[in-house]
Amino acid sequence: MGETGLLHFAEHRLQEIALFFMAVVYILKVVWILRFKPMRERTPARGSHTAGIAYSYATLVMPWAMESSAKHPLRYAEFALFHLAVAAAIALSFFIPYGPQLIAGAAMQTVIKVVIGLGFIAGVIRLVRRLTVATMRVISSPDDLFSITLLNVFLALAFFSVPNDKPGVLVVFFIVTAFFLVYVPFSKISHYLLWPFTRYYLGWHWGHRGVYPKVN
Amino acid sequence: MAAGTGNGRSAGAQKALESFRKRMNRQAILAMASCVHCGRCTETCHYYMALKDPKMAPAFKADQVRKIYKRHYDWLGRAVPWWVKGKDLTTDEQLRDLMDVVFGSCTMCRRCTMNCPMGVDKALIMRTMRGILMEQGIAPQGVLAVSKDQWEIGNQMGVSKEDYLETIEWLSEELQNEMGEPTAILPMDKMDADMVFAINPREVKYAPMSLLAAAKIFWAAGESWTMSSEGWDNTNFGLFNGDNALGGHMGKLVFSNVQRLRGRELVCSECGHGFRATKWESPNWTGMDLEFPIRSFLEVMVDYVRDGRIKLDRSRNNVSVTYHDPCNLSRSGGMTEEPRYLLQRAVVDFREMHPNRADNWCCSGGGGAMSMSEYSKRRLEVAKIKAEQLRATGADIVATACHNCVDGLTDLIKYHKVKMQVKLVGELVADALVLEPKAMISVPSLEEFAAGQTILVVDDDPDAVTFLSTFFEDNGFKTLTAADADKAAKVLLGTKPDLMTLDIIMPGTNGIDFYRQLKRDERYKDIPVIIVTGVNPNIPGNVDARGVLYGDSGMPAPEGYLDKPVKKELLLMTVKKVFELGKVKKEEVFTAG
Repeated sequence: MGETGLLHFAEHRLQEIALFFMAVVYILKVVWILRFKPMRERTPARGSHTAGIAYSYATLVMPWAMESSAKHPLRYAEFALFHLAVAAAIALSFFIPYGPQLIAGAAMQTVIKVVIGLGFIAGVIRLVRRLTVATMRVISSPDDLFSITLLNVFLALAFFSVPNDKPGVLVVFFIVTAFFLVYVPFSKISHYLLWPFTRYYLGWHWGHRGVYPKVN
Repeated sequence: MAAGTGNGRSAGAQKALESFRKRMNRQAILAMASCVHCGRCTETCHYYMALKDPKMAPAFKADQVRKIYKRHYDWLGRAVPWWVKGKDLTTDEQLRDLMDVVFGSCTMCRRCTMNCPMGVDKALIMRTMRGILMEQGIAPQGVLAVSKDQWEIGNQMGVSKEDYLETIEWLSEELQNEMGEPTAILPMDKMDADMVFAINPREVKYAPMSLLAAAKIFWAAGESWTMSSEGWDNTNFGLFNGDNALGGHMGKLVFSNVQRLRGRELVCSECGHGFRATKWESPNWTGMDLEFPIRSFLEVMVDYVRDGRIKLDRSRNNVSVTYHDPCNLSRSGGMTEEPRYLLQRAVVDFREMHPNRADNWCCSGGGGAMSMSEYSKRRLEVAKIKAEQLRATGADIVATACHNCVDGLTDLIKYHKVKMQVKLVGELVADALVLEPKAMISVPSLEEFAAGQTILVVDDDPDAVTFLSTFFEDNGFKTLTAADADKAAKVLLGTKPDLMTLDIIMPGTNGIDFYRQLKRDERYKDIPVIIVTGVNPNIPGNVDARGVLYGDSGMPAPEGYLDKPVKKELLLMTVKKVFELGKVKKEEVFTAG
């Protein structure tokens, strides 16, 4: 298989297989979670479930709503940059094979590189923190360390995949992406699948009791 | 513990695993699965902030339970457990280690959850494990003792029905005397009342002032209310110990008696966990569909003020007051504005502490911590965060709406030398009440009981001895004093007092051990004892006065419990209660032998 053939395989068939695998595992995971019965609530509500749930989800973009982010604005910025970068890199893995014209322009390429570049720096800071801060070291598992490392590699490759004119880099990027898609459903990276559920139930619970939305 | 199961796992560990499986509902599974170890919860925990021990980070503590989930449920963890820090539960020693984590290192205040970007309910994880350990009797002694009392006697302080009814009757007389009104009583088992009032047993045993304050407010509002002779305890150790069966048992006791009395609503006195357990948890634990609403006494007082049923004069509380939001009322109940509404109208100078409301720091005494003598030292150390928060307000008084917080705050105030008093919101409201001119306030006195009565004051603090002796002698008692347990024992050989006040921290034998000796001695076991204690930061070992209240199952609790500095009003009321309830019997004088 020539270089073009390998790249084509990596950015199409390999991705499709990996995505399909990830989707199947995610579906199985959601089915598995839903098999557990939720706690039933018999008491009349003091507040609004809808408002509670909405507030719970909105805390993602309201750093002032939680002391843990309000007191550490730089860490919140780091969190935001990192996750935006990961989203951009994932989007890139679709744009390159299926919509390369969307990232053809210089301005768009600059934006993508800046977002991913900043996210990579944030990722490195996170990895260093995990290795050097005692409280982070003690709670970190090999999966935590591997996941952040894998994502940093993914971001670095994504950075160099723009513009998408370096076949060698692109092949590695898509192979790593495929590995990422296969590994993610089993690792802590799949927290984004769980996040809607946990925030929903917490929002419902605290909305029911009138705790959310918070009175400040 | 029983022998192993043959698969390398102890019987206790096997049983714990089976219980773990049964307790996994959707919310629990999500709590177990969702932690990303971001560390954002770390600085929101008073245990970590006070001790700066990385192992006190909420994520680390939760992981000690979560590792079981990772080993048995997480798909990657089942294949490669070490990769996700999964660990099997195989030994009884692991269970005992877990006790230290889930009981001794967490008050389940949920401050970490409030600050978790994923929304992991760590209190749920802790409570789940507490329940699993409780099934095997692995819990702090005080938790086991109180749980047993709630199962067997129906209230957490083991107050007999007779004592309870006598105390309520006595309080009725006090209220009548104070108000000058025969209608000013604490009704008992009145049918079809608008309100059934459930209380914390602490109000019966050691804090009758708060119950009297509530009764005064009810009387001033012209309320149709009653207390119940059964099922009157709104506290619920099922919330603390993770035992939903106990939770349901206590809930059912309260609810069934409201139904028996045909009460139109149930009102809970100022107890944070009691209100939360009664209103929010017990309906789920009992499975009962209730025909009556459940409210907090705070909500009732707010309505009284708004409707003009009571009038308040804030100048009667010419002090600066801050408010401590109890975790169970604020973070788990959303009740933050009601106490503020009341305090703004009941005191001259109300000032917030920061942070507050749902972000407030735990008093450090929650989650049953006040009953856990084994962890008293740690509790007081981690209360440093709360102490700093209190000190920053510069207020004279910290008000709260939870008896548990009253105890927790009182202890930490003494330990960390914060110049502040603790009061319940209801007490401040009662103090600010504007009553009709016809109400005659009579000054209670002890003189009617004093003739021929002797009180032995046992305390190594000369100031405390002077204060107490002077107080008793001014009221007509004869007093004897002893500076330590050995001297007290010598006094007892010559004279059997009618009442004893007993300090805890003294040189030589401490007050707790001396109390136990007294209660085991046929000659002295019926001497009523009022514990009078401060907390000395330089205490040797880990002497905990509250162990006497919670830890000694089978040993009668003291007749009174007063914190130093002693408030004269409370001392007066406590001594009156002892004498009026007939706890004092005349005995022959022993001769030295």
